[in-house]
Amino acid sequence: MVAHILRLKLTLFVNSFRLSFWQVVGLAVGILYGFASAVFVVAGLVALRFVEVDVARATVIVVGSVVVVVVTVLPLILGTEDALDPRKFGLFGINTTKLSVALIIGAVVSVPAIVITVISLAQLVTWSRDGVSEVLAILSAVLIVATCLLSSRVSTSLAAFLLSTRRARDLAAIFSIIALLALSPVIILVLTIDWRHRGLELLGDAANVLGWTPLGAAWAIPADAAAGNIDDALAKLAIAAGWVVILAIIWRVLVGAMLTTPLRQPHARTYAGLGWFDWFARTPTGAIAARSMTYWFRDSRYGSSLLAIPFIPVFMVIVLAVAGIPLNELALLPLPVICLFLAWFVHNDVAFDNTAIWLHMSTSTIGRADRWGRIIPVLVLGVPLIAVGSVVSAWLFGDWVVLLSLVGVSSSLLLGGLGLSSVASARFPYSTVRPGDSPFSQPQGIGSPASGIQAFTFIAIIFFASPAIVSAALGFIYGSFWHLLALAIGVGVGLIVLTAGTAIGARVYDRRTSELLVFASQN
Amino acid sequence: MDSETDLNDVASLSEVSEESATPTSPASKPARKPRNVSATAPVVAAEPVERDIVLRISGLVKRFDDKTAVSGIDLEIAAGSFFGIVGPNGAGKTTTLSMVTGLLRPDAGTVTVHGADVWSDPVVAKRKMGVLPDRLRMFDRLTGAQLLYYSGVLRGLDKATIRIRTADLAAAFGLEDSLNRLVTDYSAGMTKKLALAAAMIHSPRLLVLDEPFESVDPVSAANVIDILQKYVAAGGTIIISSHTMNLIERVCDSVAVIVNGAVLASGPMAEVTAGKTLEEKFVELAGGRKAAEGMEWLHTFSD
Repeated sequence: MVAHILRLKLTLFVNSFRLSFWQVVGLAVGILYGFASAVFVVAGLVALRFVEVDVARATVIVVGSVVVVVVTVLPLILGTEDALDPRKFGLFGINTTKLSVALIIGAVVSVPAIVITVISLAQLVTWSRDGVSEVLAILSAVLIVATCLLSSRVSTSLAAFLLSTRRARDLAAIFSIIALLALSPVIILVLTIDWRHRGLELLGDAANVLGWTPLGAAWAIPADAAAGNIDDALAKLAIAAGWVVILAIIWRVLVGAMLTTPLRQPHARTYAGLGWFDWFARTPTGAIAARSMTYWFRDSRYGSSLLAIPFIPVFMVIVLAVAGIPLNELALLPLPVICLFLAWFVHNDVAFDNTAIWLHMSTSTIGRADRWGRIIPVLVLGVPLIAVGSVVSAWLFGDWVVLLSLVGVSSSLLLGGLGLSSVASARFPYSTVRPGDSPFSQPQGIGSPASGIQAFTFIAIIFFASPAIVSAALGFIYGSFWHLLALAIGVGVGLIVLTAGTAIGARVYDRRTSELLVFASQN
Repeated sequence: MDSETDLNDVASLSEVSEESATPTSPASKPARKPRNVSATAPVVAAEPVERDIVLRISGLVKRFDDKTAVSGIDLEIAAGSFFGIVGPNGAGKTTTLSMVTGLLRPDAGTVTVHGADVWSDPVVAKRKMGVLPDRLRMFDRLTGAQLLYYSGVLRGLDKATIRIRTADLAAAFGLEDSLNRLVTDYSAGMTKKLALAAAMIHSPRLLVLDEPFESVDPVSAANVIDILQKYVAAGGTIIISSHTMNLIERVCDSVAVIVNGAVLASGPMAEVTAGKTLEEKFVELAGGRKAAEGMEWLHTFSD
């Protein structure tokens, strides 16, 4: 049984290389990244052998705890399809206990598991200081690997189990975005601590706390022993071993429950009426705009971006404020940044439809309707935002004359950006997350490399807005005439790029609709 | 949409569903003879007077890399015929229908709908067609009602017409209770029925349906067949693909057998089958029958 599942996992691992070129490149980058970080950690652990005990202890426990957290949370965020989901073995009639053991052992054949094993072996070097510590370090290596494997299995399966309905998945995606964004101030706080003077002290405090939790206990056993604290070491051995037993029991119960629980029946929500379709004109453009608007609020791929976009400038403002730039000057930053990202976000909009785009083809919807329909929702969000946001920003800045520049630069970014996105989404679609998949999942499919197109569109938007940006910057030096010029240039260039972009985008779309569908069906 | 193309007044669809409210499993019915085969044989060759050709396919070729999916298909389908396309998996049925509906650009050949070329005059040609593609997504974050409205508006219908037809189609296909739910929460069969409704909403002259009965339950399938037969009786033309031979034989009046991207036989059902069942004739033409040897272990049960 165990041998079968091991062989299955090995085959899956090897087969993951038999994909298209870009997928193999992605996989290779992932593996390289995994092993590079492993080498880094291993080198650190070996180096810690020659550092005084307290420092080594604090570092190992804190880093070790982080490793356990990452191993537990990473599969949730990546949301990859789980090859060893217990439910896939439900039809084979395997004894539940046997299956749960086999699945854990099968999980050893994966990049993260190998990385963890290497790291846990490296900490043997760190604690090769005296006999007792070394023996305990061997025990702790076993416990570390067991803890990591079990917690990643439990978290992956629990997520797959609980998030089996579409609504649950959509909500989870939104919540994890919020959680990630909420973490950013914490990261900044950590970065701003005066590490040179108080770093070691803080690290030691953190290690003292984490060492008593299941996260750090296994790592703390040899560390405490090496520090001469055998009693603490034995207590933590008990905690770490107890935690592995608890995880194993949870895993066994979970496998049993998953095998016997049918898929959860989704509770379908109903939506009365036509929603946004009542608000837009009864023309193809209006209908596409209403459909697009509906997706912005109902599809987690759009929803997560809509949520993330306001946080990007917040993050930038915090970083720059820490760096010492006055807050009133920073008040000018958020609005243009939000406009830039709003406009840029729709540069791959056609790929988001996947093969559903056939409907536009078979109704011979013209490119102009398709292009405008997709950008109207962004204008509906963005134009009022510029109106309100520029007033608020100027008020925070404390000088009304910047209002002109703010409107100019923001309009240039939003309008010009939408024009460029209109061209890009028709001419250069690239594989993206498929409808209904987690916004974090990796797009499966072939096609042109995404990052190049993303960077190119982003830079192009800034390039076309640069006359307005330069003029606004001159306004701060030479006075209000340049602010007025920034308004004129910004709105003017924005409108020209928008008109030209949608016209070119429409022509490209009309010529290439069949190719767009072929592309989508390969995605 | 001009009234001339309103061949199939959708209002009549609701009557259809009432009529067929008693479950009529397709299997329980005696195989119905193809209607009026001799009188209105839809293929031109059989008729001295040229009939109105709705769909003309000539020399259609499609290659994917080195594999030829469709190698020169010619078909002519007359108005008022219920035309079936059968073929084994991977025979090129979906590829052919995708080119017919203007979703996939052919490497060679032409497709004309009522004289309008699908690729050089797409607006006119596509307006005359209702399309149900196989394995393509829908905008599934819309509710059923929104999707029908969306299809209707893209087809240029006005609001009142869409409202009436949505209600009629929902009643005819048994979708009344699901119209306000998201399409992504539909079952496979319901999604198919909704897609079919969306294909009919503009009352086209020609319906191109790729695997319309896949994962549709027998009662719904019987309802849908009734609707389609009324549509044909009113002068509409249907081309459907399927690998359910019984169904094709029962509902279609003419048929084409496609194997390896080429038409092996086509014409009125009676001519093609020549006294056999369609299934027997098909297996004979496709020639893919393998003797079930070498699986003796299957006959010794493991416990």
